[in-house]
Amino acid sequence: MPELRTEEFIVNMGPHHPSTHGVCRLVLTMDGEKIIKIEPVIGYLHRAIEKICENRTYQQCIPILDRFEYVTAMSCNYVFSLAAERLGQVEVPQRAEYLRVIMLELNRIASHLIFYGVTAMDIGAYTPFLYGLRERELIMDLFEMTCGQRLTYNYIRIGGVSRDIPPEFVPKCREALKIISERMSDYEGLLNENPIWLVRTKGIAILPAELAVAYGVSGPVLRASGVQYDLRRNDPYSIYERFDFDIPVRYHGDCYDRYLLRLDEIRQSMRIVSQALDSLPEGEIKNKKVKANFKPPAGEVYARIENTRGELGVYLISDGSAKPLRVKTRGGSYNQLQVLPHYGTNMLIADLVANFATLDIIMPEVDR
Amino acid sequence: MTKQELAAYVTEKFGDKLRPLESGRYDPLFEVQAGDLVDVAQALKEDENLRFDFLCNLGGVDTKERFEIVYNVASITKNLRLDFKVILPYEQAEVDSVQKVWPGANWYERELWELYGIHVRNHGNLTRFLLPDEWDQGYPMRKNWDAPDFVRLPEID
Repeated sequence: MPELRTEEFIVNMGPHHPSTHGVCRLVLTMDGEKIIKIEPVIGYLHRAIEKICENRTYQQCIPILDRFEYVTAMSCNYVFSLAAERLGQVEVPQRAEYLRVIMLELNRIASHLIFYGVTAMDIGAYTPFLYGLRERELIMDLFEMTCGQRLTYNYIRIGGVSRDIPPEFVPKCREALKIISERMSDYEGLLNENPIWLVRTKGIAILPAELAVAYGVSGPVLRASGVQYDLRRNDPYSIYERFDFDIPVRYHGDCYDRYLLRLDEIRQSMRIVSQALDSLPEGEIKNKKVKANFKPPAGEVYARIENTRGELGVYLISDGSAKPLRVKTRGGSYNQLQVLPHYGTNMLIADLVANFATLDIIMPEVDR
Repeated sequence: MTKQELAAYVTEKFGDKLRPLESGRYDPLFEVQAGDLVDVAQALKEDENLRFDFLCNLGGVDTKERFEIVYNVASITKNLRLDFKVILPYEQAEVDSVQKVWPGANWYERELWELYGIHVRNHGNLTRFLLPDEWDQGYPMRKNWDAPDFVRLPEID
């Protein structure tokens, strides 16, 4: 019998792999079914958003940044507006702050519903995908009713929001929340105790908290590793102090906890939205002093908010002219993808799909 | 610690090594000399009242007169935020890597090298990743960079 010869080989996962959610290429060095090394190759979606922003006025930057992280474009609108408002000392009317919180949290729910659907689909369950996207549609309708867009909203502007909500928004929104909260038990019933789901996610791809912090991992992925850090509490912005909500934390840091944590967050976001709807004040929706040629005084500021995929930040530098000198964007996915090679090895290639899916990476945020 | 207390504490603790800058509008902003960068970063991380263990963001800036590299750091345990920057003249565009302190700086520093042409010492992996492998048109984030299809919009009053 001749001796069996084994050797390492390279597998190219992506750039057009259905489970990489966009065009991310992972070069995997394999030993049989086991991954030895992961090398992410990015840049396929690089659109030079930061360079484009340097060539636009402040108001014109907002629709460009919609494309930065298009699953939660409201957050991108908001974080840039927040930075510009801090630079220009712009006051925001109360009603606008409430509308912003409602939109941000609805967008978070919509994004987590996509996560729920596509993660399950990556792991091989198709029904959750239909469920998740069905309920997301209710939220998309609300956005469409408010600003005419379903994905790239351009809704939150410097000093307020672009337009008021129509009168039928509030009842429709309450109805949508009611439907989603009723169907949460369906979502959990499909997966939480499903033996196949448990085998595929529980104890798989554990991300230790120290490694996560060292690599700047934030958001649900960090909180699933046991670090209670949520910018809505730790670095409060807008009017989040006025609402009563919890910051869910889970401690195992595996795929299952990352999945459960996002379901917890949907519930908390629904709490915030319903409180905001109850106390929504009347009044102005936009600071009238902010003109089209908004020119903040020279200075620099870093604004950061809690997005669905972690810390979303903008470092904005003004030199006093009508265009920003520098817009440096920071998205959570960038760090989540960066940490992947450091803990995602020594496991089966099938587990990498589950791992990658529960990190909830979206590529436009990485490539910019 | 409030923002003012943090600024006062850092000024007292670090003296000349972290010089406060006026241009920061929300969080305390400091300037650090390129030679002190890694030592200061390490001290910020290890100081028991600060514990800046989380690198939020790292980015280059071309101000048309010089380069600046901005580090936005946060402390998860102490819940603090701080910015500091290194100022580099064009002809000396070199900086030390802070990966030893914050490993997550790796990709951000690759970006500095790729888009601004700022060399990062002791980095270990300065290779292209956002731009195409065969890119040979210079450093696109520099203010003087121009391409045939890049149209500068007119100034607005």
